[in-house]
This record gives sequence, structure tokens and C-alpha cells, in this order.
Amino acid sequence: MNVLETKGLRKTFRVKRKEPGFAASLRSLWAPSWSEKEAVSGIDLAVEEGETIAFLGPNGAGKSTTIKMLTGILHPSGGEATVLGHVPWQERKQLAYRIGTVFGQKSQLWYHLPPSDTFELMSRIYELDRDDYRRRRDLLIERFELGPYLDTAVRRLSLGERMRCEIACSFLHRPRLLFLDEPTIGLDAMIKERIRELIAELNREEGTTVFLTSHDAGDIERLCRRAVVIHHGGIMVDGSVQRLKRDILRYKTVAVRLAESSPPAELLPLPPGARRLPADAGQLRLSVDLTEIGVEQVLQGLMSTLAIADVTIEDPPMEEVIKTLFARGRDEGVAAREEDAP
Amino acid sequence: MIAAKGAKYAAVVRITLKQQTAYRMDFLMRSLFLLLILYVFMQLWSAAYSGQGEGAEIAGFRLKDIIWYLVLTEAFTMAFPQLCTRIEEEVKSGGIAVRLLTPISYAGYQYASYLGEAALRFVVNLACGSLIGWMLVGPPELGAGWSSIAVLGLGSFTLAFLLNLSIALCSFWVEETRGLEFILQKLQFTVGGMLIPLDLMPHWLQQICAWLPFQAVLYFPAKSAVSGGAELGAYVAQQLGWIAVMAALCAWIYSRGIRRLNANGG
Repeated sequence: MNVLETKGLRKTFRVKRKEPGFAASLRSLWAPSWSEKEAVSGIDLAVEEGETIAFLGPNGAGKSTTIKMLTGILHPSGGEATVLGHVPWQERKQLAYRIGTVFGQKSQLWYHLPPSDTFELMSRIYELDRDDYRRRRDLLIERFELGPYLDTAVRRLSLGERMRCEIACSFLHRPRLLFLDEPTIGLDAMIKERIRELIAELNREEGTTVFLTSHDAGDIERLCRRAVVIHHGGIMVDGSVQRLKRDILRYKTVAVRLAESSPPAELLPLPPGARRLPADAGQLRLSVDLTEIGVEQVLQGLMSTLAIADVTIEDPPMEEVIKTLFARGRDEGVAAREEDAP
Repeated sequence: MIAAKGAKYAAVVRITLKQQTAYRMDFLMRSLFLLLILYVFMQLWSAAYSGQGEGAEIAGFRLKDIIWYLVLTEAFTMAFPQLCTRIEEEVKSGGIAVRLLTPISYAGYQYASYLGEAALRFVVNLACGSLIGWMLVGPPELGAGWSSIAVLGLGSFTLAFLLNLSIALCSFWVEETRGLEFILQKLQFTVGGMLIPLDLMPHWLQQICAWLPFQAVLYFPAKSAVSGGAELGAYVAQQLGWIAVMAALCAWIYSRGIRRLNANGG
């Protein structure tokens, strides 16, 4: 069953154009000139119940605009969308009971009050049954380990503590669908990992569909099975995170730990398609382009000259995938613009 | 069902009141400022009445009436929260998105929060103002007049909220609403009868004021309190009328504005 479906979802903004200079400012007072900016240009998407989907794209690609339309804050300029059977911008309140949203850069917690007060407020706003709410709250407090700062004013919490409260808060009403917009932005590695675990757990146990935007490759790799990449307001790639990594990025990283008896690897000649990466002493790391050479050929070459203690072959990190995609998108964008030029 | 909806807005009032405890300094400053203003105006009116002899009346007001009138209008005015600033800030920062993502009416949320804050501030202001009023001109005549404040006060807060909301919602279109807010506030001070009771104004101006909503915010409750609540029925009826008009206007502005709202920020 699809929990989310869009057809040709579009959003254009009218932006006031202003030329520099005081005279132009005055002119724009009575004769403003407008230009249309297309933020989202026709998105077709279907998300099934229980899916974990990553929504990727560079800044300004239309990620947030799309989320805002899907949660009913923004009215689209065209196209259709249903989320859990509701048209978001027409039935915002009914939809709000069944979805949860966490914006990494916007807080729903009351800044001067402890998180427990916001929890209480939310339990009333979502009209939760009192007993059910208390049980749910206590469970989330335990899971997210919020006990120590539940009664501390939010302004005194660290970002990591606050984010855990934010996410716990958005789980209070058991949303069927959770939108996370940059949930781990600015957090340190350990807290990031903990937050990912918690979200993954709730996805597994409660079947909550997770719709995530992030710049952090770790979020996507750890949380999501499917990735949708948007660029210039349209969908560029829609596939599994695994496939995205395999198909789009043709590189493997081969890491070799050398035996003590091994001759040094520094001066070793490399076959075409293999590239040396920075590595610690006693180690060798290579980036292998699979379209030029197979991993086994590279390994054979290494084994004939070096004494090897250990070998690992890894997929490239998600950062690389996104970087490559964006670079490609940019090149295509540039090419398209050049064609337009007279 | 209805109980749950009510509980929702009651919870907003509660958390607003709790939040106010974080602004103790702001409270103190406002109260001190209130005392200063009242003191200055009391001196002014005392001077105006001193030439008239003992027990003199100006347009039906004795000195004592006019001082208590001032205490009330100031207590109301300084209790009104800065709605325009708040909504404008929410629109600019995109914080409005967080409100719109919860199942609560945006205007209803703002109203509950406004009422909670205004009621608390009003009680504090009235206590401060009464202190100085009592010392200078003696106790007011508590009775039907003062008890009418309970009814007219609620109408006053509601209408003040709607007048400000109609301007605040313009921030869905324009960057700045402060200019309009400034005008609204000054109209309140003058044709709304905050500084001088409308009865003391020229007849032609009184006629104009009678057709404006501003008098229903400050003049009605303050006048009713010092004149024994004689015109309570007419005042309530006019308040309700203006509340209906302004609520309809706000609903219309909101329904148009929300369509073109661009909740800023990632």
C-alpha cells in the first residue's frame, strides 16, 4: 500500500527582481518586476508503507519545498499528492494527526521550558488518551535516555540532547509517516549514530515509514533502503541505496595490511585503473575503477610482489556517491545552459 | 470530542503562563514604566482639575474617575502582547512551519497564547496601577462597574487580538508590518480613548469614534468601570458586533495568505 503518492508535483515562486542601485530600488516601489523561479518541477513519487527513503539533493534542489508540500504547509503550483489518503494542503490538520516531522534547524520545543512541558502540550494537541500518553512518554524517555534532562530548560540542553528530545516528541503520537529534514545536522558522530539507531528501531518495530533528507551519507546508509536524488527540481535517480552505490559509483576501495616481512609498497607500480589513496604506515589503500580493471586482477598483482596480512574490499562511502552525482548534474546543467546560449 | 478540543487550547494557555515566568525582568520593567506613566498623567490631570474647585466634574468625570479610568486603560494597553512582532518573526524565520505541522488552528493557537499572556499581565498591571491610584486619589467605587470588567475585559482582549491579527497576517505578503502596527497603536491611544476619555473630545470626533472599533477595546471597559456599568448591555453588543466583523476579516485574510505562504528556511 502506498502511503505517499505524487503526480507532477510542481512549485514555482514569484520573486521580485531588483536591480542594484538606489534608483532601481525606487523604481521597483511602483513598478516591481517579477520573475518566476521553479523550485520543484514535476515530481512523481510513490512510497510504500514501512519504507525508509532518503531524499537527496544539493542545496536549492527543492528538497525542503517538496517536504513542505507533502506536509501541507505549502500549496503547490500544480500536480497532485496524497499522503495517507489526504491531500496535504487541503486537509492539513487531519493529516497532522498521523504524520510526524522533525526539522533539524527548527525547534518544536519551548525554549525557556523543560522538554516535559512541550511533551504535555503535544499530548493535548494530538488529543492522546491520558494513560496511553503516559505509557508512551515513559517508553520514549527510556529509549532515548531522556530522564536526566527532562526537567531542564531546553535552552540549557546541548544540541544532541535537544535533538533526541525533538525526535522523541515527534514520536509521541505514533505517526505512520515520519519526515526528517536534516535531523543530524551539527551533531557529533556518536550522537548521530545513536539517533540513527533509534529511528531505525522505531521503523522496524512500529512500521513507521521514514522519509529523510540529509547531507550526511551516514544517515542514508544506516537508515535508508531507497534513495531518490533530486536536482533542479526534478527526480534524477530513484533506486535502492545499494544499487545507487553499485551502479553510479564504479569504484571500490581496496585496503591492504602488509605483513612485517613485506617489501615496502611505496614504490610499487600500479596498473591503470588503480589509484593510491592516503594510508597509514604498513598499509596500502587503492581506489579501483571497475570499468578499467577488476579487483581480482589488482589483488593478483599485489600478491605477486607483496606479503599481505589482510585485505578488505569496501564500497565507497555515500559522500562520494552524492558528490559524483552532483558533479555530474552540474556538468549536465552547464552543458544545457551552454546549448541555450546563442 | 469538544472537551479534547478545549483541552488543547487550555494547554496552550497553561504553557504560555509557564513561559511567562522566564520573563520576570521584562515584567518588572513594564510595571515600573507603567507606574511612571501613571504618575505623570496623574500630575497632569490634578493640575487640570485644581483650577475647577473641589468636587468639580469635566464631562461627567471627577478627578478620581479619570485617574481610575487611566489606571484601567494603561493596565489593558500594557497587557496586550506584541502579536505583530511575534507572527512576523515566525513568518520570517519559518518557525510558523512548526505550528502548522501540528493539528491545531493557527489563529486559535495564537488566540489562546494571547489570552493567557494578556490576562496575566493585566492582573499584574492592575495591581501596580491600583497601588499608585489608591495612594493618590483613594479607592475606586467597586461594584457593578468594576465587575463589568470581567465581561468587557474578555471582549477587549479578543477584539485587540483580532485587530492586531488582521495586521500581523499581512506579513504573509509584506516583509514589514510594524508600520501598520504603529498606526493601529496610535489610533488606540487617541480615538480609542486611552489617554483621554472619548467624552472629553469634540462632539464631531465622538461621532466618528462611535463608528470605529477602537473604542470597544479600551474605552468601553474603563468607562463602564468608573460609571457604574450603566451601559454594559450596549457595550457588550457593540464588542460582539466588532468581534464578528474582525473575525470574518481575519478568516478571509488567513485563507488567502496561507495559500501563498512560503515557510522560509531549510
